[in-house]
Amino acid sequence: MTGETVTELRVSDAALVARIVQRDESALAALYDRYAGMLSSVLNRILRDTQAAEEILQDIFYQLWRSAEQFDASRGSLPGWLLVIARNRAISRLRRHNPASGEELLENTVVLPTNLESSIAQQQMVGKVRSAMDSLPKEQRAALELAYFEGLTHSEIAARTGDPLGTVKTRLRSALETLKRNFKK
Amino acid sequence: MSGNHPTREEDFDLYALGALDGDEKVAFESHLASCADCKVKLADSHGRMALLAFSAPTVQPSPHVKEQLLRQLALTSPGRNTAPVQLKPEREEGVFARWWGILLPLAGAFALASVLLWLHNETLERQVAELRSTIIEQQAQLSQARDVAEMMSARDTVVVSLAEQKNQPEGTARVIYNSRRGLLVYNGHLAPTTPDKSYQLWLVPASGAPISAGVFNPSNGETNSIVAKVPPGTAAKAFAVTLEPAGGKPSPTGPMILVGPVS
Repeated sequence: MTGETVTELRVSDAALVARIVQRDESALAALYDRYAGMLSSVLNRILRDTQAAEEILQDIFYQLWRSAEQFDASRGSLPGWLLVIARNRAISRLRRHNPASGEELLENTVVLPTNLESSIAQQQMVGKVRSAMDSLPKEQRAALELAYFEGLTHSEIAARTGDPLGTVKTRLRSALETLKRNFKK
Repeated sequence: MSGNHPTREEDFDLYALGALDGDEKVAFESHLASCADCKVKLADSHGRMALLAFSAPTVQPSPHVKEQLLRQLALTSPGRNTAPVQLKPEREEGVFARWWGILLPLAGAFALASVLLWLHNETLERQVAELRSTIIEQQAQLSQARDVAEMMSARDTVVVSLAEQKNQPEGTARVIYNSRRGLLVYNGHLAPTTPDKSYQLWLVPASGAPISAGVFNPSNGETNSIVAKVPPGTAAKAFAVTLEPAGGKPSPTGPMILVGPVS
């Protein structure tokens, strides 16, 4: 962490979004500084293609610029929404689906169990999630990563790994139970 | 599950993850469409699943992405007229012929000037946006500096020296802490870590688990400074620095490098 942690906490996401609605470009730049690293990491992990990841990253923030007035803070948190959009778009690109229409903002309500507005909170979450993933048995972790980072369903994971469908379902359920317990700590 | 609430809590996570398919997915969605309670649970699951993103290796985007984004905003802001200027010649041949020799060079010069002005305007607007961003950061830094200065002069602020531990790398540090304000300043010298490790500063409260106050990777020979906020009113028993996996941990797991009790 650096001194910027306190800096970041001065202006909330909601205040910055309100300023984006008023066409304040510096507010978008501030949100970019806050969340671009987090989104870039997941985009690169899914796509394994820096150029494609950066195209989507730019597009997500441009969508935020265009449709900030649609963002309703009472329906969830901004970083949660950004993470869901980033994953959906990257997986669509990976599977060569049509690009998202930009309506995801209205489709999903995403409630994060924690506030990620500061860099220290994001760093702590990195530690917490990596520690939780490290605690999973190898097969459970692999199934979960195929589902999250490659967007595969139960049946697709079974086809990919050659494991019985029932085994895949059990592994994913067990992994999710463990994660839920760890996230509550 | 059709028509009824999902029987297992993990069904919400599985749906948010996109792992359900076939009949399971259809049944979940048909129930969800008419159940407000389940929509609330699903929102929590979307959030929980979104956090899996943090297991990805950290990759910072290139600086040019932000520059392109700001340029894109400048190019598409409403109120800009980017359409080429069209000059309509007068229909009367005589008038047109008379003025053609004057109008054509003027129109060319006007169009060229318009393009140059437009490009100049783009640059200025981009610079203004960057300056605004800088001002916000500087205002916040000023506010932070004010907070730190007030803390330094407060009577209830304590200074804690952190000492190196046996068989651990050399280092020294000092923490200035005010529990009422929930604000601390750390200054220290420690050897650089390997790329897979980070140092993590901890506030050890009088009761309860240690609270992380920051993760850092010092460069060779540089002083590390951290300004951090912790919950106001937290009575500290000690401060410590541990060596953790890169990015830090929610609770200390690695060797203790520096420790300083609060007297």
